[in-house]
Amino acid sequence: MSLLQVRNVTKRFGGLTAVDDVSFDVFEGTIKALIGPNGAGKTTLFNALTGFDRPDQGSVLFDDTELVGRRPRDTVRAGVARTFQNTQLFDGMTAGENVMVGKQVHQRRGFSAAMLRLPASLAEDREAREEAGRLLRLIGIEEWVDTPAGDLPAGIRRLVEIARALATGPRLLLLDEPAAGLNATEARELVQTLFRVRDGGITVVIVEHHMGLVMDVSDEIVVLDRGSKIAEGPPRMIQKDPAVIAAYLGGETDDDA
Amino acid sequence: MNGRTLKALVPLVVVAAVAVLPLLITDRFLLKVFTFAGINALVVVGLALLFGYTGQVSLGHAAFVGLGAYTCAVCTVRLGWPWPLAFAASGALAALGGLALALPSLRLKGHYLAMATLGFGELMVLAFREAEPLTGGVDGFGGIPFPALGPLEVRSAGALYWLVWVVVGIALLAAYNVTSMRPGRAMRALHGSELGAQACGVDVVGVKVRTFVVSALLAGLAGALYASVVGFVSPSVFTLAASITFVAMAVLGGTGSLAGPIAAAVLLTLLQYLDALVPGIPRETAQTIQTYQEDIYGLAIVLVVIFAPGGLASFWRRRGRGGELS
Repeated sequence: MSLLQVRNVTKRFGGLTAVDDVSFDVFEGTIKALIGPNGAGKTTLFNALTGFDRPDQGSVLFDDTELVGRRPRDTVRAGVARTFQNTQLFDGMTAGENVMVGKQVHQRRGFSAAMLRLPASLAEDREAREEAGRLLRLIGIEEWVDTPAGDLPAGIRRLVEIARALATGPRLLLLDEPAAGLNATEARELVQTLFRVRDGGITVVIVEHHMGLVMDVSDEIVVLDRGSKIAEGPPRMIQKDPAVIAAYLGGETDDDA
Repeated sequence: MNGRTLKALVPLVVVAAVAVLPLLITDRFLLKVFTFAGINALVVVGLALLFGYTGQVSLGHAAFVGLGAYTCAVCTVRLGWPWPLAFAASGALAALGGLALALPSLRLKGHYLAMATLGFGELMVLAFREAEPLTGGVDGFGGIPFPALGPLEVRSAGALYWLVWVVVGIALLAAYNVTSMRPGRAMRALHGSELGAQACGVDVVGVKVRTFVVSALLAGLAGALYASVVGFVSPSVFTLAASITFVAMAVLGGTGSLAGPIAAAVLLTLLQYLDALVPGIPRETAQTIQTYQEDIYGLAIVLVVIFAPGGLASFWRRRGRGGELS
């Protein structure tokens, strides 16, 4: 079943068309990769899917609800979580607290309940703390739970951000370059983590430059070049696609003539 | 005794020291200075939440103090309300003012809140001055009664001191609870990374507005206490200079801390009454310090921001983490 339907999404910045009429589907329980050279429009597309940016045209249907025009907070509530190319951790807070923030989107106790230390508020706190511990164990970084995020190594920061996104309880997880800054061992572990996440019933879309990782994890790949989709299919087909090879190697194309 | 037990004892010792102070100090003026320190601390608890946790700057909090002070004056003197009701009304009206100011300015991205509060502060001083039938204008508003809890009138210097610091204690406890739970994590999160907070579904505008309203409420309550302790209010007390003083206390105290800003509030308040506190100090030295008080605050803000961004709180936080009260 198609969990996410991206239809004719276009985003322009002044005269530049960053994303040009892109359509694709993401099927439930799969991992889909979004690749392309720098400036291909991958991150712009991510922003359009998560409410951080509003596309000029097109529609994004998530489980038959329209995401275009929603605020980031509402897309998270609908079940779409994301990470950032430049990790957006809360540096003054520990890794565990960072993940706890992710949990609070589905919690309800606010200022007054906290001021009075109401039992419901304390219960939510405990729940968030337990969930953070569970997720850090799932990702395999539980030993960092009490380390301030500002002191974490780059690779661990990316993983904490993934754990934080998972804490929002998503059905769809969008990861923007999760392997950037990881060494070979960490990248292999990330692949296993992504499989575990998918096996837990969460659909994954990743933007990634690390081709080995993309080929290993993804069921399907969408290739963007200068804002347009130039290819889509399983990894083996993409590897042989002449248009993809041309885009990556900078080969001659018609519009250069 | 290990370090953790020692650490747990610190708040108890501080609370005990604050509580017994009136028994040790016989000088009524000195006690009044410490009472003012408590009133300032109450404002600064709110600013610590706003600035130190949420990362928002207000340059007009003296106006909320003023709003609370005049509300208390009008409610007790003109309307004849019982003091607890007037006290509550002062906080409520300041909170309402905070809401009206925060809603439009926090919807916009950037430092519009700082600008809006600056303008609001100036506007309110003008209002206090010009709304003569209500506020008494530049001549001020006198004859405000002492706080009274039912038949019990709080009028001795010691009792006023205790009343103020009990309110500070309650506010501190409530603020500590907020910062250590879900809303506090949301506040620190959006301070750390607004994008990250949005991606976690944090209601960024909502949290900022709520924090601002809470800080305005505490400022309003502080104003009501001020009016009742002094018995007289005039517009000159609630100007931009006072707002800057509150900001200086919050900055000097350090971000992400409640105890730091309170300590800074007490220290900077004592600085204003240096000549009364240090008996041997030459009159001219004290006068010079008081003349350049604003400049000292400005310099202190600059120095803290450059050399010790963690403020006072960072001095004791360095000795190991944990202890969220720090």
